[in-house]
Amino acid sequence: MKIGAIGGYSFPGGTHPPQNKELTCEHKIHPGPAVKEVAVMLSQHIGAQCRPLVRAGNMVQAGQKIGDSDAFVSAPVHSPITGKVKEIALRSHAVLGRSPAIVIEAYPYSPTKRSDFSFDDFDEDKYSAEQICDAVRQAGIVGMGGAGFPTRVKIEPDPRLPKETMIINGCECEPYITCDYRIMLEWTDRIIAGIKLAKKAAGCSRVFIGIEDNKPRAIEAINTALKSTSNVDDIKVVPVKTKYPQGDERQLIKAILKKNVPTGGIPPMIGLLVLNVATTAAIAEAVVFGSPLTYRVVTVSGQAVARPGNYYVAIGTSVSELIEFCGGVTQKSAKVVLGGPMMGIAIADLTTPITKTTGAVTVLTRHQIGRAKFARRQTACIRCGRCLDVCPERLNPTKIAHAVKNNALDVAESYYISACIECGCCSYVCPAKIELTGYIKTGKIFLAGQKKKVPQ
Amino acid sequence: MLTDIKVSCSPHISEPLSTRRIMRDVVIGLAPAVAAAGYYFRIYALILIASCVISAVATEWLCNLIRRKPNSLGDFSAVVTGIILALSLPPAFPIWAAVIGSCFAIAIGKMVFGGLGANILNPAMVGRAFLTASFGMLMTTWTVPAVIDSAMPKIAADTGIDARTQATPLAWSKQAIKTKAGAEIVNKQLKDLFIGSVGGCLGETSALALLIGGLYLVIRRTINLHIPLAVLLSAFVFATIAYLINPQAYIRPVSHLLSGGMLLCVFFIATDPVTAPLTPAGMWIFGIGVGAMTMLIRIVGEYPEGVMYAVLLMNAVTPLIDKMCKFAPAGGKPSV
Repeated sequence: MKIGAIGGYSFPGGTHPPQNKELTCEHKIHPGPAVKEVAVMLSQHIGAQCRPLVRAGNMVQAGQKIGDSDAFVSAPVHSPITGKVKEIALRSHAVLGRSPAIVIEAYPYSPTKRSDFSFDDFDEDKYSAEQICDAVRQAGIVGMGGAGFPTRVKIEPDPRLPKETMIINGCECEPYITCDYRIMLEWTDRIIAGIKLAKKAAGCSRVFIGIEDNKPRAIEAINTALKSTSNVDDIKVVPVKTKYPQGDERQLIKAILKKNVPTGGIPPMIGLLVLNVATTAAIAEAVVFGSPLTYRVVTVSGQAVARPGNYYVAIGTSVSELIEFCGGVTQKSAKVVLGGPMMGIAIADLTTPITKTTGAVTVLTRHQIGRAKFARRQTACIRCGRCLDVCPERLNPTKIAHAVKNNALDVAESYYISACIECGCCSYVCPAKIELTGYIKTGKIFLAGQKKKVPQ
Repeated sequence: MLTDIKVSCSPHISEPLSTRRIMRDVVIGLAPAVAAAGYYFRIYALILIASCVISAVATEWLCNLIRRKPNSLGDFSAVVTGIILALSLPPAFPIWAAVIGSCFAIAIGKMVFGGLGANILNPAMVGRAFLTASFGMLMTTWTVPAVIDSAMPKIAADTGIDARTQATPLAWSKQAIKTKAGAEIVNKQLKDLFIGSVGGCLGETSALALLIGGLYLVIRRTINLHIPLAVLLSAFVFATIAYLINPQAYIRPVSHLLSGGMLLCVFFIATDPVTAPLTPAGMWIFGIGVGAMTMLIRIVGEYPEGVMYAVLLMNAVTPLIDKMCKFAPAGGKPSV
C-alpha cells in the first residue's frame, strides 16, 4: 500500500487558525492543585453511565474503584484522592448537562499522585493480550483526545473486524493545547510502552505515529526513543502537515494511509485502530503499574489566564480551582472553554469538574471573543463557498445550516448532515459570521429526537 | 475577577474576514477600471459612476426602511452593484437614466428577493437589462474616448473634425459577420483593445485595467479561478471555431476575449458569489455556459454583445446546477 503522496501527508480542506501554542509549549508538566474536594462524574465516556459503588460517608483510598457498570461499552471510575465520600450529587458536565457525580472530601495531607513512572525495564512479553485488555478495562481508560470511547472496547480483538494497522494520534491540531506535546516530550518511553502493549492486545501488525510538523521536537524525541528501543521496527513516526483538523481521526487516516473511513462508519471497518498519545501513556501506567486513570495532564491556557501551563490534575477537580491555581483570570469578561477554541465547549458553571476527556481549559479574552462571529453582526450568506472549500468531509455546510434554520430536516439529511464531524472550520471561515456548526449540531439533535419518537 | 462569562457554540474564534471586507476588495479590484474610465471618458464618466453608486446606496437604505429591516449598507454590496452597473453603461449615458437603472437594479434586482444573498439574478445586470429594454437608443450610442487614435474607423462619416460617436469593436465585428468581410479592422485594434482606447462602455474598454483588478481579486482570494477560466476557455473555443470557418467574417478569438464586457464579466460579474454555483464542478458548468452563450449571441445572435444576457440566463439556472453538482461526502454516500 502506498503511504503518503506527493505534497506531504495531509487531507483536503481544513484551515489554519492561529496556534497560540507558545503560551504553554515550554511549560513542563507540573503537579496540579492539591484539592480539598473532587467531584468524579459517573459518566465520563461514551456508553453506559456507571453505578456508584460507594455511599455517602464511606472512606475511599486513592485509586479505589468507586463506580462501575456491567455494560460492555463503559468504563469504571476511580477516586483520585484518599478521603471521605461527602455525597452523590448532580454536577455540571460539558456535554451531558447536570449529571451525577461522587463528591469526595480529601483527608488532610492526602498526597497527590506522582507522575514519574519508570519504564526502564519494560518488557511487553510479560503481559498477555488478555491481561492487557483486562488491565485497561479495570483502570477505566477511555479515549483521552476528547471523544472518550472506552479504550478496552477499541483494542480488544474482534474477529469480525480484524485491526491490522494502529495509528497513534499526536497531532494536537487545536490551538492553545500543548498537553499531548508535553507528554510526547517528557513521557516518551511511556508512550512507546503503551503503543507496544496496545499493539499486542489489538493484534496490529504495524503502527504509525502521526505528529503535526509544527512539533519537530516531539517528532525527534519519539524517533530518538524508538532508535534506542528494541522490537519497534514496525512503528513509524509520520510527520503530517500542520492544519486544523488534522487531529480528527478520519483526517489523520486520510493523511497517513490515503483511505477514507466510510460515512457513518468507524475506523475498524477498514482495519484500523486510532489511539491518542495520552491514552497510550495511560495504558502503559495501567498495565505495568496497575495505576487507574485518576489524573491527567491538562493545559490551562488562553490570554486571560495569569499563569498558563500544563498540569497533572486530579480528575474531578473543579475548573474554578484549577484556574485559581494558575493565578486566576485577569479579565472581568471572558469565555471559559473546556478543550480548544475550535471544538471546545464554553461553560457557564465554573464548578464543572475536570473529566477524563478534558485536555485543556482555555480562557479567551473579550478581545478574542469579539472577533468571533456573535459579537459582530451576521450578514446573509453570500454563497461565497468558503465553507465548502474548508470542509474536510466535503459537505455543503451552508445548505445544511440553512435547511436546519428553515426546519427542513429532510433537506439537511439529503446533504448528509450526519457525516459532519463538527470540527468548526465552516463557522471559523464564514465571512458572514453565520454559526454554521451550531446549526448543524442543532439539526443533528433534532434528527436524533425525531428518530427516538418513531416506534420501532 | 471573572464576573461576566460568555457562552456560545464552538468554534469560539473566527477568521478576521467579513462580507464587508470581501465587498471592499471587489471595490478595490474595480478601481483600475474606474480610473481607466476617468482617463478615457473624462470627468463625465466619474460623475456617472458616482451617481449610480449614490442612487444604489440610497435605494437600499430606503428599501430597508420600508421593509423595517436593519440597515444593511455596511456590507458595501450596493456600492459594488452601483459601480458595476455604471461601468457597463455607455460613456455619454444621461445621468437621470442611470439613476433610474441603478434604483431598479437594487430595488427589483436585489431587495424584493430579500436583500443580499437572496437575489437570483445579478442586480447590476438586471439594471442594465432594464435600461437596454427601456432606452435602447441611449444604450447603443458610443462616444469616442478622449484619447483616441484618429486613424481608427468612425461610425459617422469621417469629416476630419469631430466624430462624436464611433462603433465599438464588437459592432464592427457584427458588421463583418453580415458582410462577410472586414474582420481584420478589429483584429488590427488588438493593442487599443488591450489598453482601452476604443469605443465601448465605461468600464469595458481597458482590458489592462480589468486584468489588474481581476488579478488583485485572485491574489486576495476574493474570487477563485474556476469561473474566469471556464468563461474564457469556452468563449475562446467557440470564437476559434468561428474564426477557423471564415477569418474574413469572424474576428480573432483573442479580440473577442478582450473586447466588450468579456473581462468585466469574467472577473466581476460572473464571479458574483450570490448568483453563481457553489461547487467547483457547478462553477465550471456555469462558466462554460456563460462563455458559450456570450459567443452564441455575438456570432449568431442579433446583438453585438451578449455578456449581459448570458450571465442573466446562467444565473437563472444556477439553482439547478447546484442541485446537479452536489458533493458526495468524503467517506462516500452512507449505505443506509
